[in-house]
Amino acid sequence: MAAVARPGAPLLEARGISKAFGKVQALLGVDFHVGYQEVVGLVGDNGAGKSTLIKIITGVYPPDAGELLFEGRPVRLHSPKEARALGIETVYQDLALVEQMSIARNFFLGNEPTRHAGPIRLLDSSAMHRITEQVLREIGITTLRSASQDVGVLSGGERQAIAIGRTMHFGAKLIILDEPTSALSIKETRKVLDYIGEAKRRGLSVIFITHNLYHVYPVSDRIVVLDHGRKVGDFAREAVSIDDLVELITLQREAASGRT
Amino acid sequence: MGAETVCVPAPDGEAGAGVSGKAISGGAEARAVEARPPRAARGWRQLLAMRELGVLIALGVLVVLFSLLQPAFLTLDTFGDILTQAAELGVAAVGVTFLMIAGEFDLSVGSNFAFAGVLLALLVTRLAVPALLAVPAALGVAAFIGLLNGAITLATRIPSFITTLGTMMMWRGLALAITGGWPISILTASTLLDVLGGKAVYGTLRISAIWLLLVTGIFWMLLGKTAYGNWVFATGGKREAARALGVPVARVKLINFILAGVLAGAAGFMQFGRMSSMSPVWGDALALEAIAAAVIGGTSLMGGSGTILGTILGAITMAAIRVGLVMVGAPSYWYTAFLGVVIVLAVILNVKLEATFAWRR
Repeated sequence: MAAVARPGAPLLEARGISKAFGKVQALLGVDFHVGYQEVVGLVGDNGAGKSTLIKIITGVYPPDAGELLFEGRPVRLHSPKEARALGIETVYQDLALVEQMSIARNFFLGNEPTRHAGPIRLLDSSAMHRITEQVLREIGITTLRSASQDVGVLSGGERQAIAIGRTMHFGAKLIILDEPTSALSIKETRKVLDYIGEAKRRGLSVIFITHNLYHVYPVSDRIVVLDHGRKVGDFAREAVSIDDLVELITLQREAASGRT
Repeated sequence: MGAETVCVPAPDGEAGAGVSGKAISGGAEARAVEARPPRAARGWRQLLAMRELGVLIALGVLVVLFSLLQPAFLTLDTFGDILTQAAELGVAAVGVTFLMIAGEFDLSVGSNFAFAGVLLALLVTRLAVPALLAVPAALGVAAFIGLLNGAITLATRIPSFITTLGTMMMWRGLALAITGGWPISILTASTLLDVLGGKAVYGTLRISAIWLLLVTGIFWMLLGKTAYGNWVFATGGKREAARALGVPVARVKLINFILAGVLAGAAGFMQFGRMSSMSPVWGDALALEAIAAAVIGGTSLMGGSGTILGTILGAITMAAIRVGLVMVGAPSYWYTAFLGVVIVLAVILNVKLEATFAWRR
């Protein structure tokens, strides 16, 4: 239960979060925080409450009890839009990319740069290509030939890079990655883990949700374990081994099956 | 007469109207990557990656075929005839393409074409309304027909295929009702008819070809070179992704329904101009022909992809078949049979080319 020492308030803090859906208690009194420039792995079995916690942090629904603080200030989120305005961005499994459109068009979707041409505003297509290619190079993706390629022809890892690069470029402070490696090859997974490292180096914080301890362990500064709606572990990476985590999750599962 | 240049109500105060020649020449080619040195190989690659490649091949084959069968096919007069045939279909098909890319259909464009056309004819003949008032008024009704399609589809979430199947019958019936089923004609010389598409500007080339060119230019630019165009692709490609990124998908669809309505009405006016007459029964196959032009040109029935240039080439291909078959002396009913074969072959070609060359982009 080692708490990492940080000066001042963390970037995001959730205190005593509870949420029930009918009779199902999805979360019960969960404390959770993410520091500045910190990668937090959020792990746990199916039904542990990971996605409920994320949906509360991203404003999808309000908690029954508890409070959220962002950059030290209490916030009440009513929609994902409000969370995004604060700088909390989610990269979902299906990535919010349109396969039939080019990389550059996807990258700027909803935020298109325009330039005036007489009385009308046109897409600044050269800026779109230049910035997209630059950001993707910076994030460490070198396999793309050009930003005018369709997203549909890209690999899962390349798509992750575009989605992560997009959130970084548009000023996210906290990126939430929901199972970013679940459908990827080993090689692609390693690349996505590199992108997470790059995001951290650029000053962002990351919540990395996964089933796979072997993916989350190498890149996380801290690992939080949820089980049946409760937080059962919160470790600095140095203070815990993968085996410890596996044991903890397995023990919880056995205890739970003993209970029922 | 500027009404047909279609003022585009782009959201967030984006002015889409009033396109100048200067603006067109200033538009950077979307697929050109500035950082890359130009190479001859790159030109080939771009040609192979073009989404219009399939329809270009189809059109090329047909032109060669008809020219071999009838040497007179390869003349400027024939070209004028083809463009005349393609103009009305092309204008309506551009609106249908916009809507299809956003993931919706409009089966009522043929009825809108007839209703707006006979309404304009009635206004300027029996009611003696000045043309400068009658054209915007009738175009407004065409826009309203599109708006109604969109509003019903979006509010009730029934498929637009069904909504517009219903409004297709409704507006056709109303067109018949307000005319008693009879065509309305202008028998004297008329500036209105000349401007709408009746006047030949050079040989067999009519003004309607200029309207087609103008509509093509404006909508090509709107789709490919503006933020709104990006939203149209995203709305049809993956609606949830577009919405998550802040694209107002319902508004995009509604605007596209209106655009499809306006262009269908405009096509009706062009027909009225060319024939000096408008019949409430015309355009009964227009909706399916417009969809055919779009899919021959590479537009997906599933939404999310398509090009304006492809649709225009699709309309020209269909017109070339019609004109070519007449010139080689085939009975007119061969047109439909032949067109059916071409549609299927062109779509197969498009799918194969897309699978082979998409990665080259």
